Amino acid sequence: MSAINNLIVKVGRSVGGVVGTLYQAGRDSVDTVIRNVIPFMAFISFIIGLILTTGIGDWIAQGLKGSASTLPGLLIISVICAIPLISPLLGPGAVIAQIVGTLLGVEIGKGNIPAQYSLPALFAINPQVGCDFIPVGLALGEAEPETVEVGVPAVLFSRLVTGPLSVVIAYFASFGLYSSK
Amino acid sequence: MNFNSLVLLSAEATVDKPDGFLGALATGAEEFIKIFNEGGKVFLSLMGGILPTLIVLLTAVNALVRLIGPEKIENLGKAAARPGLRWYPVRYMLLPFVSVFVLTNPMAYTMGRFLPERFKPAFYDSAVSFVHPILGIFPHANPGELFVYVGIATGITQLGYGLGDLAVRYLLVGLVVIFIRGILTEVITARMMKKGA
Repeated sequence: MSAINNLIVKVGRSVGGVVGTLYQAGRDSVDTVIRNVIPFMAFISFIIGLILTTGIGDWIAQGLKGSASTLPGLLIISVICAIPLISPLLGPGAVIAQIVGTLLGVEIGKGNIPAQYSLPALFAINPQVGCDFIPVGLALGEAEPETVEVGVPAVLFSRLVTGPLSVVIAYFASFGLYSSK
Repeated sequence: MNFNSLVLLSAEATVDKPDGFLGALATGAEEFIKIFNEGGKVFLSLMGGILPTLIVLLTAVNALVRLIGPEKIENLGKAAARPGLRWYPVRYMLLPFVSVFVLTNPMAYTMGRFLPERFKPAFYDSAVSFVHPILGIFPHANPGELFVYVGIATGITQLGYGLGDLAVRYLLVGLVVIFIRGILTEVITARMMKKGA
């Protein structure tokens, strides 16, 4: 009898555990969506609305069209974003990258920027990723203060090279992407 | 009944267009509200288009990670700490990928604690550079910064193309880039540590 009892308890526990985990996962994801994703969607929607209805879109388009639809233009964007003094300022929350990404998306949607440039553009707007977060990120990895002292400039200088390099790699990887034959 | 016609001030004009001072005000008001109507349309399309899939995907992956247990990847962290050329891809491609996938931003960087000090900045650089390329296929890793990818992807969708090609290429190029970034930052860190000592 006790063997059956134990079995029932065991099954009940593990099923309860799985269901509880799934439920908690659902709660977590809805929480993330409400706190992080929807507010940003609201903000981005306002910006897109502003761009689409007012004339702002036209001069942004003029500015971006020249720079975002050629390889040298994208390289210039990536170099600017990777400058060690600027990159930590552009980093926080990836807000700048998200806004610029959205602006580029609008222009790609209108056909002002060729679709195949979406891939290199994703890298061109983002060489500063995490540059604001280096000391915290290293502390999360339990780094010594001396490592942080060396690590911050090391990452920032590395970006100056790998930022533009990533654009070049993405540019060559974008051949055949959304191109009509 | 069409609910759009209920939206404030934007009802179809059935009388003469207002003119004069008040007319200018009225036109201005209509232009003003047009911005937010357009924004609202975009908002609704984002909510309807991305959110349902995102919530379900987030739930599935969160549950998977919880059931497996994040502590399982610690062995990988220990393996990545080994010196030697063949552990480079593990340290700067596999480990960042797995830690960003399982632990997500920002807890992924805690995996650095298994590495010796001289690899830590390089691993951070590598891992943090991967929190966006992964978004195309696994948005659960960094939902707060989704629009780095979704912003541009929306343009592609508008053109009527599929996103699979872009998402896969973004992920693959991202892997190559974080690998190069890891190696270069490791070299720079080594130089600077030598100079400091």
